[in-house]
Amino acid sequence: MRTSRRFAAVEPVGSAPTPVMSYPTTFNRAPRRAAAREVVRAQALCKQYRSPWTLKTVDGLKDVSFEIAAGEVIGLLGPNGAGKTTTPKMLTGLIKPTRGTAWALGEPMTSVSSRRRLGFLPEQPYFFDYLNGVEYLELAGRLSGLAGRDAAARAREWLGRVGLSDRPRLILRKYSKGMLQRLGLAAALVHQPELLILDEPMSGLDPFGRRDVRELILEQRRMGTTILFSSHILPDVEMLCDRVLIIVDGRLVRTATLHDLMQHGAHGVEIRCVGSPVLEIPPVWMTKLARNEHADGTAFLLADATLMDEVVEWLMRSGVRLRAVTPQRATLEELFLAATESTDLDRPEETA
Amino acid sequence: MNALLVARNTFREATRDRVLAGIVVTGLVLLAMTQVVGVLALGEARRLTVDLGLSAISLLGLFVVLLVGTNLVAKEIERRTIYNLLSRPIARHEYLIGKWAGLSAALWVVCAVLGVALGLLLAVRGSHGHVGSIAEAVYLAGLELTVITSIAVLCSSLSTPVLSALYTLGFYLVGEWSYDLRAFADKAQGMAGGILGVVANVVPNLPLFNMRTLASSAQVTSAGHLVIATLYALVYCGCALALATAAFESRDFK
Repeated sequence: MRTSRRFAAVEPVGSAPTPVMSYPTTFNRAPRRAAAREVVRAQALCKQYRSPWTLKTVDGLKDVSFEIAAGEVIGLLGPNGAGKTTTPKMLTGLIKPTRGTAWALGEPMTSVSSRRRLGFLPEQPYFFDYLNGVEYLELAGRLSGLAGRDAAARAREWLGRVGLSDRPRLILRKYSKGMLQRLGLAAALVHQPELLILDEPMSGLDPFGRRDVRELILEQRRMGTTILFSSHILPDVEMLCDRVLIIVDGRLVRTATLHDLMQHGAHGVEIRCVGSPVLEIPPVWMTKLARNEHADGTAFLLADATLMDEVVEWLMRSGVRLRAVTPQRATLEELFLAATESTDLDRPEETA
Repeated sequence: MNALLVARNTFREATRDRVLAGIVVTGLVLLAMTQVVGVLALGEARRLTVDLGLSAISLLGLFVVLLVGTNLVAKEIERRTIYNLLSRPIARHEYLIGKWAGLSAALWVVCAVLGVALGLLLAVRGSHGHVGSIAEAVYLAGLELTVITSIAVLCSSLSTPVLSALYTLGFYLVGEWSYDLRAFADKAQGMAGGILGVVANVVPNLPLFNMRTLASSAQVTSAGHLVIATLYALVYCGCALALATAAFESRDFK
């Protein structure tokens, strides 16, 4: 089965048209401005699961509250079993909260109409394998309120957009995992939703597929679609999100913009030198300065960036030839691990 | 509108399933075999053909309900295809009504195909007097299967496919004996009689839809019987689907 390796490119509204690959005209729309309008509000969401045999209750979600403004791209992070799949399912009406409530696009999530302008891609999506791609997207469009002809036209166009138009009549049981993931994304987007909820959209995809999904999310972000997505792939979250919500053990332990998260993270400095100088680190810096020998020289790792000037001066005074001084920034992975390993989980910390 | 979309999709699912095609082929083979057995019936070949043909329609339809209908909702939950539907603006009662209507439509098609085949078979053998009675009997068989489908949807929305099949089969068997159960309840004393009376009223009154004996004698039933059977089927299906919705409304899809 041959499929095009990239999604068709989007022609930004107002720019010169591209003759070869252009965005379907029916989907062109003016980019929505990211205003302060609230698209999602969750208030003290709790979910308890009760075992039918032992009657013991297990907390799936504990007092989770957050807001998402229009046009934001939010990453939902958390270890397995933390509740990051429960949250999107509550917003889409698949799971009912034990306590608390949430609004999506101004309507309570319990109302059916709140899902009219919402697109959802579940984790490892399963489809009606007796349908073909066009039939499935047409059904998805019609169920989301599109009229018959409009749904049919958009189904064909979106199949092309995600690179599956070579064999539109191929039944879904013959699709590969990557093809199904692309189809799931097309189904989530076929009715042009204002809020897009994606649960592990990159899971199981090869690097090409991940790149394509990433591009599609970026394209939706440019168009002003509000996006909430959960992922284990932290570089993707780092690349796409404005803000992250970190859920651990059913609690929202951190809500922060990526910028704030990075600012609050540990900052160090790496100082690379030529050769292997004979030096004894002063006792006062013993805990803050580490030395690593490399094939092409020596690297001093300074944990506290405020000491950089003093350390550089000391090295130069000692006759060391410096090659590079590089500030080190904590990666999202390190920050995520620090947040999840923190023992102080009882009080949610709001940093943004 | 949404219920119609779900119904259309369920109809497509049922008609693309090999089970349904296999059932139709089996029905046609059974009808053909009645001609072989008819030789041994000593002048009762037509009666035997009608009786076996109508029984085949009812029993094969029941197989479809047990094999497909009891999986309708439970399989969608198990395979998580239900996310595709319920994460969209569809009320849960619309989903259940759509599922029931879609499979019922597929069963009506099976009944119609086998009914026409039975009519043609009799016409070829020179028996034209059975057309009206066969049409009525097939219509009532279709209503009976529609009622059993609503029970299958109810069970399927509450339980696993295997248990749903067992519960649906139980309802069918007890429903077939509901007249005897009611008579037994009238004779029984005290609480046992009361309980049996309740059970007799809860299970579907399936003998109401059985016109095989009349049809094999080329007799038609009254219009009143057809109207009552139709209304009973509609009310019973409505109650079963309302119960299914009540149970389904609070269900979580993890």
